[in-house]
Amino acid sequence: MHTIYTPDIARITRIETVTTNEKIFDISFIEKEAQKKFNFLPGQFVELTVFGVGEAPFSITSNPNNKEKFQLCIRSVGSVSQAIHNLKEGAKVGIRGPFGKGTFPYEAAKGHNVLVVAGGLGLAPLMSFLTYMFDYREEYKNIMIIYGAVNPGNILYKNEISYWSSREDVKVCVTVDNPDDKWTGEIGVCTKLIPRVDFKPEDTYTIVCGPPVMYKYVVQELEKKNFTDDKIFLSLERRMECGVGKCNHCHIGNKLACVDGPVFSLWEIRDLKEAI
Amino acid sequence: MIYKILDKEDYNDFLKKLVENYDFYGPVKKDAAVHDFQKINDVEKIDVDFKRTTVAPAKKLIYPPEETILSYDISDDIEIRSEVQADEKILFGIDACDVNGLAFLDKFFSDEFVDDFYFQKRNKLIIIGLDRMPTETNFSLSLGKEYAREGFDIFLTDLKDRYFVRIGTEKGNNLINKYAKTRDASENDFADYDGYMDNYRKSFKAKADISNFYDNFEIIYDNDKFWSKTAKDCFSCGSCCLVCPTCFCFNVRDDMEINLKKGNKIREWDSCMIPDYGLVAGGHNFRKDKENRLKQRYRCKLKTFVQKFDTYACVGCGRCIETCMAKINIVDDINSVKKEVSV
Repeated sequence: MHTIYTPDIARITRIETVTTNEKIFDISFIEKEAQKKFNFLPGQFVELTVFGVGEAPFSITSNPNNKEKFQLCIRSVGSVSQAIHNLKEGAKVGIRGPFGKGTFPYEAAKGHNVLVVAGGLGLAPLMSFLTYMFDYREEYKNIMIIYGAVNPGNILYKNEISYWSSREDVKVCVTVDNPDDKWTGEIGVCTKLIPRVDFKPEDTYTIVCGPPVMYKYVVQELEKKNFTDDKIFLSLERRMECGVGKCNHCHIGNKLACVDGPVFSLWEIRDLKEAI
Repeated sequence: MIYKILDKEDYNDFLKKLVENYDFYGPVKKDAAVHDFQKINDVEKIDVDFKRTTVAPAKKLIYPPEETILSYDISDDIEIRSEVQADEKILFGIDACDVNGLAFLDKFFSDEFVDDFYFQKRNKLIIIGLDRMPTETNFSLSLGKEYAREGFDIFLTDLKDRYFVRIGTEKGNNLINKYAKTRDASENDFADYDGYMDNYRKSFKAKADISNFYDNFEIIYDNDKFWSKTAKDCFSCGSCCLVCPTCFCFNVRDDMEINLKKGNKIREWDSCMIPDYGLVAGGHNFRKDKENRLKQRYRCKLKTFVQKFDTYACVGCGRCIETCMAKINIVDDINSVKKEVSV
């Protein structure tokens, strides 16, 4: 019997070590049918099972237009993520999903400026949106990416960042909290860079993803610049055991991060006091 | 709804036939203070005369405390298997609150994604409800959950010398036709039933003023003094959730057999009152204070599903009040919210 809790079997086809703590996993389903019906949107997540260890939610980090495989960027921090870090290429895992109705506003933002604010591992989920956006670059106005990492060694997606930096049609600002001797870029938390944004608030969609502590401060800075609730989108992390609105660990007030989110507009969560 | 009358002298015979022919669960006296819904082989063991609620809610028959939702074998290739064991069962003797509790879970487990593990069992469960005078802590009247309009196959109301029988489903009707000697309910029977229900509603001692709670909760939410007082004695033990007929939260864990080749995914009841409920990998806990966890419980019970399903996720059975070691009382707390805001 196939239930809402039954995973499809997938194979890890490639593993890339990105930092001491993070690896990127390319995954594709064993069954062609499963791969075919796996169509995700920017911001959605999967529940990944390491058999014998457990299941945990991970945001999909690859371009939704790539139908052959998908990618997860995983930090080794919990029991499942540690276990997947120990797996080798070719290993099989269980995948359920994609889940989440709340996606990054990839459609709504077309025809507008896009400001992306990423903190730490928060850049990973945003990659699905960013790569998608660059596929349709001409449909969006100005793009600015603000990315804050703890130190230069923690910076993810270095190749992509230098590629974006080389482009004329996107502004990239990377900042670190703890610079090393070689660091020549910005220093400090990413909120410091928001005052420099010169987009018109009414014509700008802002997408934020980062550690829980970051949101409040980013929103404060955005509001100082008169950015409005309905155009600020936040991807919220919560504990999720099921992904289908049943286990309820991800309740945020009246909403569930797994089915209603994980991406919410600030307007949607404005009245949910424990959201950010 | 079909209305019938079952005479007292035919009542035992009806139950006896059901016990003989079905996997039958009903209230059993476990000790002086505790009744529980258990499998009945001998009709004499059924004891509906209990002053407190049964400790464990009836949901355990279809949503058990622990349940395997997936089995796998990783010896060679990965093989996965998902099965639900569900046989027809009769659940006898649950009151209107508990019927409404199951009706809530029916809604919850079918919302958007249908939970097969719940419904395979639920669809094979025949429910025979039984009206009972409210216990001291029962405040279901305040929440409009004191009366079961649906969610049962048969519902009995004791009118002293006879039972007023409400038949809610075809399944229930078939059972009555096959195993019970009944007659149609007359005007007189309806009058007595009406009298019973009026008297029943007058018998509620516990009353919660839930009016305006939906809005009042928002202003009380930020009142730290209120919540530190309300949650002061909470042990974060989660007992309130374990006895609740509508609580649905679960954890999923993987259990491996000793050969490390075969394993199971098991879901087990969880409680939003337990400290690690909101803990994510990396150590951030979204609800690390017991005050916030109690807020979450009250919001979930009394507000969240008013918005989602237009119903409270609390049926007012009073089990949590009876069970809480810290004597946290949801009725008092609802009334305190009202008092605090209206002053």
